[in-house]
Parts: sequence; structure tokens; C-alpha cells
Amino acid sequence: MNTLQRRVIQAGALAMIALACFSEVNFTILPGGGVGPELSPDWYAALVYIVPGSSFVLAGLIAWSLRPRNRVGLLMIGVGVGLLTGDALLKNRVGQVSPAAEVLLDFVSPLWAVVLIHLLLAFPGGRLVSRLDRVVVRSFYAVVPLAALLAVIAGYPVLGKISQPVFDIEVPAAGSIYLACLVIGSALVIRRWFLGGHARRRSMSPVFWPMVPITVFFVLATAAVLRGSVTALATVFPLLLVALPVGCLIGLLRSGLDMSSVGDLVVKLSGGLAPEQLQPALAQALHDPSLEVAYWLPAQEWFADLEGRRIELPTADSEQAVSLLGDPASPVAALIYDSSLVDEGQLVDTAAAAVHLALQNARLQVQLRAQLEEVRQSRARLVEAADGERQRVERDLHDGAQQQLVTLLLSLQVTKAEAMRRSDFETATLIDANIASLREALGELRELARGIHPTILTQAGLVPAIRSLTERCPIPVDVTGELGDTRLAPPLETALYFVVSEAITNAVKYSKGRRMCISLGRRSGFAVVEVSDDGVGGADLSVGSGLRGLTDRVAAVGGRLIIKSDLTGGTTIHAEVPCG
Amino acid sequence: MRERVLIVDDHAGFRRLARRLVQAIGHEVVGEAGTGAEALSESRRLKPDLVLLDIQLPDLDGLAVAASLSSEPEPPDVVLVSSRDAADYGPRLQDCGALGFIAKADLSAESLGALLGA
Repeated sequence: MNTLQRRVIQAGALAMIALACFSEVNFTILPGGGVGPELSPDWYAALVYIVPGSSFVLAGLIAWSLRPRNRVGLLMIGVGVGLLTGDALLKNRVGQVSPAAEVLLDFVSPLWAVVLIHLLLAFPGGRLVSRLDRVVVRSFYAVVPLAALLAVIAGYPVLGKISQPVFDIEVPAAGSIYLACLVIGSALVIRRWFLGGHARRRSMSPVFWPMVPITVFFVLATAAVLRGSVTALATVFPLLLVALPVGCLIGLLRSGLDMSSVGDLVVKLSGGLAPEQLQPALAQALHDPSLEVAYWLPAQEWFADLEGRRIELPTADSEQAVSLLGDPASPVAALIYDSSLVDEGQLVDTAAAAVHLALQNARLQVQLRAQLEEVRQSRARLVEAADGERQRVERDLHDGAQQQLVTLLLSLQVTKAEAMRRSDFETATLIDANIASLREALGELRELARGIHPTILTQAGLVPAIRSLTERCPIPVDVTGELGDTRLAPPLETALYFVVSEAITNAVKYSKGRRMCISLGRRSGFAVVEVSDDGVGGADLSVGSGLRGLTDRVAAVGGRLIIKSDLTGGTTIHAEVPCG
Repeated sequence: MRERVLIVDDHAGFRRLARRLVQAIGHEVVGEAGTGAEALSESRRLKPDLVLLDIQLPDLDGLAVAASLSSEPEPPDVVLVSSRDAADYGPRLQDCGALGFIAKADLSAESLGALLGA
């Protein structure tokens, strides 16, 4: 919009106030002001007409000059001019306009209510954020004049007559239209309030809190008027509307003061902020606790949080907005914040510029963490693949060689039974010797298969599998505690099983202990298994590959292994894995 | 007492040998089944005194079949067999309602006879 257009709108708005004042002075304040001897001077009635519209216009003009790109100012002017137009033309038209012009006035006069709803839903950014808001406001712009026209055609005028010197909700058609607009519009504003985060509520509060009592008051007043009873409520209502332009102006002025919080941010940065402190500091400076910093990872070509986890940027019609920092083709980071801050572009840009260098440094850390996360995931996949392969080998042994040996054994049993039935005891004894050898071979094969992958772990879970290990252990083992009713994920069970298995094997081989203890439990989202013995101690991670392999296996599932062992006696192996 | 036995295993070779073993100790084999579903239907039809039931079946888990059989109005005795050890199944073996378990490697006229009361 160019300067001339702006000046014309500003002059037109001010002229509208002057016209309304003239109209009120001429027709309401001056006795018999050209409309009939029945009217007496009524300053209050004049103020009721002039004050709401004028306050919207004046506050709108100030807001527009403060934020020329923000539509809030223009919308406020629109509401004010709408209110004043209805009034000024109402006072002037009686007996002076043609029936066609009167119908046209009826047609457009309720539009101020639609512009008001538009303003409430668009505040403070000046644009309608959600699709629902846009659909409803557009529908109102189309439906409300149509409803007014239909009401007029049906014989229910929308504009009041001069003999009714109160706000025009006393006219049933207008009252119904305004009631529908305000109730539906308020419901949408309340919905937006409850769906929004802290930043949105903070920015909406100067308009939201005046709107709630106004809506309640309006509903009560309109209901009373439509019933034809109380008119005092309707008389006071227009003055309450003044709270809305004042609230809008306060809201816009307050956001200007927020720039000082960016100054605080700069002071904090000069004192040095750790990467993990950047996001909270930015959130505080922009008064948006929902603010997130997403770092661009060029190698992966996606955004990530400080921990290196992937983040998807919000879509265009989301309640969140995004600002890219640096070259858009390869940004340093993106700020994701409540869309109510979109209008505070300068505030966001200034805050972003202040933290730009710090964000670049933080991104290096994020890149490193993302790489570490990739390595961790890759290691977890390798361990999972290896476990899958062990399971397959165990199954092959079971279904192949073991089955054939079992069938052979059974065949020998049948032959022996038949020899016994024939009283051929010599043959039966020979077969018995073969059965014993075959049974021994089968036992060894089963032990081999169990070492590769224990079937009981898959069949019955970790605790029965651990108990099965302890039953075969030559040293007495006490098992205490439980791991809960729900089973752990297979990779976690396998990792903990092999920790216990290796710990028992080591204790039996090297500890010279006389007793072992296995304690199980879940603590703070971790499944914990601790194996201890009363042996000679001296277990060392750097000696041999068994304990080192266990450490890697536990780390691969996001857990950790701690070994406490010294030459004064006893070894404790503590393993914990995250289990949600 | 001569028992009427149903043999359930997906390997025909095992069923043939098990039939001879059962007959060798003087019991009657009234039928055979190769799957869990067949085991359930044949048991209802033939009403055996005992079902010799492999745990690893192609459709249903033998432990689940045993639990289902034990909930019948006139349940047969169930003896589970497997080429794995009892220890491999943990407490599930005790919970399925079967009379006993014999590892296939230990299946003999003596072990079967002991369980059947021969």
C-alpha cells in the first residue's frame, strides 16, 4: 500500500469520526435536532454511539502506524468505521434516502461484527492461522450480508429507527446476526486459546480476557432484548466494546517492549552459554517455552535436536512457524516457534542473529552426536544380526543333525524292545551300548546348541533362562528379585542372559568362590542384573575378550556394564539396560 | 491295563517308530496326527486314553495343544515329547496340564512304560 492510499484511509477514518460526532450532536444532543420534537438532549446515548467506534478507529490508526505490515490496525479501523457508519447513516437517513439505498445499508451494516471476529481471530499476527478460522471468517463475510438482506426482504429491518435511541441489537434481525457472529467467533477464539501454548496465550491475553466478559454480557443482553424485556444491558454493551481496541493496542505495544529481553539474551551470550542452554535462553527471550532449535546436518540432509535425533519441521498450516538461520540452501539451524510470533519478525530475527555464532558451535556438537548415534545404531544392528544368526544355527542343529540322531536312537530303542520280547538279551545288551554312545553324542550336541542360543530364553524368558543356568552351575547360586511381569525386548534379554552366563562361567573357572548371588530388578527405567561371587576377585576388563565383548554387547543396546573386582576378594558384575 | 494311544508328531518316521515302541510294550495305537489342529480333532473323535504329543508342531505349539486337550470335558492324559530338554521350556511345562515329559533322546520302552504304568 502506498503513502497516498494510507493517507486516504487515515483521512477517511477520521472523517468518519467527525461525521458521527456531527450526527450525534445534531440529532441526539441538540433538542429536536431535526428529527422530531420527541427527542430530548441525551449525552449518554451520544457517547454510546460515538465512543466504541471512535476508540476502534483511533486505536487502529495508532496500531497501523506502529506496525504498517500488520493487518490488526486496518481491521480495528474497519470495525470502528463499521460501527460509526451504521450510526451516522442511521441518524441521517430517516426520510432522506431512497428505499434502495436503505436496503443497501441494511445489507452492509452488520459487517462490522464480522470484521471484529476477523480481528479477534487474527490477533496479534494479523493473519488467520488455522484453516478452520479462515473458512469460518470467509463464510461470515459471505453469509452475514446475505442474512441481513433476507431479513430485510422478509420484513425485518436490520437497522434500527431513530425512535429507538439504543444500540441496534434491539432490532431482532441485527441482534440475531450479531449474536451468531459473536458466539461462534468467541468459541473459535477460546478454542485457539486452549490449543495454543504459553506464547500464544501470552500474546492473545490482552484481547482474550476482555472478550470473555463481553461475550457473556452480549449474550445476556441480546437474549433479554430479543425477549423484549431489559434494555439497560443493551445500552451499556457498546461501552464495553472499548476494552477490545485498548487491549489490542496494549498487546502490540507490549511486543515492542519484548526487544529488551533480547538484550538480556546478548548479555547471557557474552558470559558464555553451553549448547544445551541456548534453546532455553531463546525460549525465554521470545517468551515461547515451546520454542525448539533444530540443527541442520549437511551430511544427513535433515534437521536434528541437540541429541542428534531427527526433527521434522512443521508444515505451513501448522500452529508453529519456522525461521531458517543462515543460507536457506544450507542453513545453520531452524527456529521452530509458536506462530503467534510470526508478526514479531524483527524480534525473532534479532534474537536469531544474537545466537547465530553460538548455534554454529552447537551444531558441531550435534553433528558429532548424530554420528555417534549412527554408530550406536549400527552396532545394535550388528549385534541383532549376529543374534539372529546364532538362533538360526541353533535351529538348524536342532532340526537337522539332532533330529536324525534322535530318530536313529528311537530306532535302536525299538530294535532293543523287540530283541527283549524275543528274549534275545545278548543283542539287547549290544544295542544298549550303542544307545548310550548315541545319547552321549546327543547331549554334547544339545550343549553346543544351547551355547549358541539358549532355547529357553526364547521360549520362557530371561528369568527362567537364568534359573536354568544356575541349576547347571556347580557352585550354589542364590537368585533374588524379579524383572516384572512384562518381558524385555529380545535384544535386551539376550544381552543380559549372556552377561549372567559369562559371569557364571568365569566364576566357576577362576574365582574359587563357594557361593554366588544373582540379583534382578527394575530401577528408574532400567533392567538391572548383578552377579556377584565370594571368590578371589581380580577380574580385569583388559585381560581376555569375554568381559570386553560383554561390555560391547550391553553398550549396543544402550546399557552399561560395571565390573567391581579387586584382589581383596569377590567380583561383582553389574549390567543395566534401558527398558522404557 | 492296555491303553489306547494317539501319536502326534510332524515327522512320519518318528510316528512309525513311536507306534512300534508303544505296541512293543503292549498298548494300542488308535491313531496318528501330524499337526496341532489334527491332534485336537482326532482326540475328540477317537477319545484315546493317552496322547503322545510332540511340542514342536508346524501349526500350533504342542504346549498350547496340551492345555487345550486338558480343558476338554473328558481329557486324555498327555505325555509331551521333544528333541529339546525339559529345561529348555522352563515353567511352561508345568503350566500346560500335561501328565509328563520325555525328551526324545530318553524315549524308550522303559521310560514310556513307567509313565503309562506298564
